[in-house]
Amino acid sequence: MTTLLRIAGLGLVLVVALLFAVFVGDQGPWYFAWVVGTVMIVLIAGAGAILFDAQPDNTPDGEV
Amino acid sequence: MDLINPSVVDLSRFQFALTALYHFMFVPLTLGLTFMLAAMETVYVVTGKQIYKDMAQFWGKLFGINFALGVATGLTMEFEFGTNWSMYSRFFGDMFGTPLAIEGLMAFFMESTFVGIMFFGWDRLSRQGHLAVTYLVALGSNLSALWILVANASMNVPDGAHFDPDTMRMTFDSFVHVVFNPDSQAKFVHTSVAGYVTASLFVMGISSFYLLRREHRQFAARSFRMAAIFGIISTVAVITLGDVLGRMDYEHQPTKIAAIEGLWHTSKPPYEPWILAALPDDAKQESYFEIGVPYVLTPLITHSFNTPITGMRELQEQAGPRIESGITAVAALKRYGETHLAEDLAIFQAHENDMGYGFLATRHAPNQDVSGMTDEQLHTVVEQTKPDILPNVFVTFWAFRLMVFLSLYFFVIFAVAAYLSLKKQLERYPLFLKICLWSIPLPVLATEFGWITAEAGRQPWTVFERLPTFMSASSHGVGYMLFSLAGFTVLYSIFIAAELYLMFKFARLGPDSHGTHEPENSTPSLSVIAH
Repeated sequence: MTTLLRIAGLGLVLVVALLFAVFVGDQGPWYFAWVVGTVMIVLIAGAGAILFDAQPDNTPDGEV
Repeated sequence: MDLINPSVVDLSRFQFALTALYHFMFVPLTLGLTFMLAAMETVYVVTGKQIYKDMAQFWGKLFGINFALGVATGLTMEFEFGTNWSMYSRFFGDMFGTPLAIEGLMAFFMESTFVGIMFFGWDRLSRQGHLAVTYLVALGSNLSALWILVANASMNVPDGAHFDPDTMRMTFDSFVHVVFNPDSQAKFVHTSVAGYVTASLFVMGISSFYLLRREHRQFAARSFRMAAIFGIISTVAVITLGDVLGRMDYEHQPTKIAAIEGLWHTSKPPYEPWILAALPDDAKQESYFEIGVPYVLTPLITHSFNTPITGMRELQEQAGPRIESGITAVAALKRYGETHLAEDLAIFQAHENDMGYGFLATRHAPNQDVSGMTDEQLHTVVEQTKPDILPNVFVTFWAFRLMVFLSLYFFVIFAVAAYLSLKKQLERYPLFLKICLWSIPLPVLATEFGWITAEAGRQPWTVFERLPTFMSASSHGVGYMLFSLAGFTVLYSIFIAAELYLMFKFARLGPDSHGTHEPENSTPSLSVIAH
């Protein structure tokens, strides 16, 4: 039941996101670009940090 | 018509510019740092690593100092519209007041409420719950900026309103039109992303300080990495949006774009150079010592190779008929106010679009009254008004260039920073780390130059082509203006001093200054010594 509710909730979020994308993408393309761009910047910066943890050190003393 | 004392208008302008520029020393950092905190906390929630929580908490503390002072400096500005710009507020209050009210009631309350939860909710909320709060703080602070920029854009491109001759003020037609005004959109994204650049260099600069001192190295290196990536993407975005804004100015505010480019005469495509540096002389209407790059201006502004850009001298001449038409509109409006005859209303409505130019002409008219002038007087007044349609070219030209040069500098800095960080070779280049540290104030300067370009370039209007600045101020005495100006200068300087003191203090203390952080081994890296 919990899984079903979770799927339904995520489905609802997807529908809202699609409606938002269609309306704002049409009426306010730069607002839409800001939303998408900001999410992208945050996620790529986060990925950069995770990559840092996964990268081997150049030197034994852990040069950064 | 009695004109407001020009000294009072100048002092009102100076006071607003001063308070706005002071306020905007704090705003960009708030706009950007909130999303950087969200990024750091996202990594903490995903990986569960304590160091990312430490990062979110430490940078959050610096954000808190900046946020508090930003709020304090911003509050007075909303009151200034009523105290110093009452004529403007009466004329344009319907349009301007609505986004400001929404900003106060929705965005600012949302931001302030969640800031409290963000600071005090670390032990009271789940990880995911706290992360959601941090995102809401980021969203709230940027929505605050959105409504302010919507209000500002409506002054530059006053769509979604019409002038009501019965009430003598602009009346709202369409809220959606105001919010989705292309100028509002581009201004908001440009300003918000400029905040991301400011925050990125702030985090990168302070992280460089730790790396140079061999302190908190793991903490600083991760912060630096995130800031460098955040910064490089944001800088590309801010330059792109700057281009969009330039294109919009070309379409809606030709005098502003001509002043920005120091273009006294209509351009000759495709050769027309983009002027890198020059000495514009407003009085003689020409520029000296021009250094330019050929074939760049036309595609840069018009996004084509063969469209000419109208120069300021030609714009002045083209304004002549509009000034005459505006004088007819203002004279008919005056008669309509006295008689309420449909005939006068019809004349006004036929010339309504040029009304602002008629207002602009009033200060040259005999007794500041444009009605009942002889043909000779009309000709003289039109000729005297023509140069008034241009902004201060020297200020607009150089403010824009300084902003652009700084943006290009940021691109280089972030590109090098991202490269060295991704290679994990930051500590090999102490000079570069010093450059990052000393560059911390530059994005703030760039955003200040951006505001000066936008606002000085809009002159001589408060509401573009509707209401001249010299008619917008309140009728205070010069003494009152000087007293309040001195008060604001002292008070805001204290705020700046407090901000700098607290920022320096907590930045020097580093992440150890809060309870949960586990101190790192600060032994210098061997490779650093080797290099």
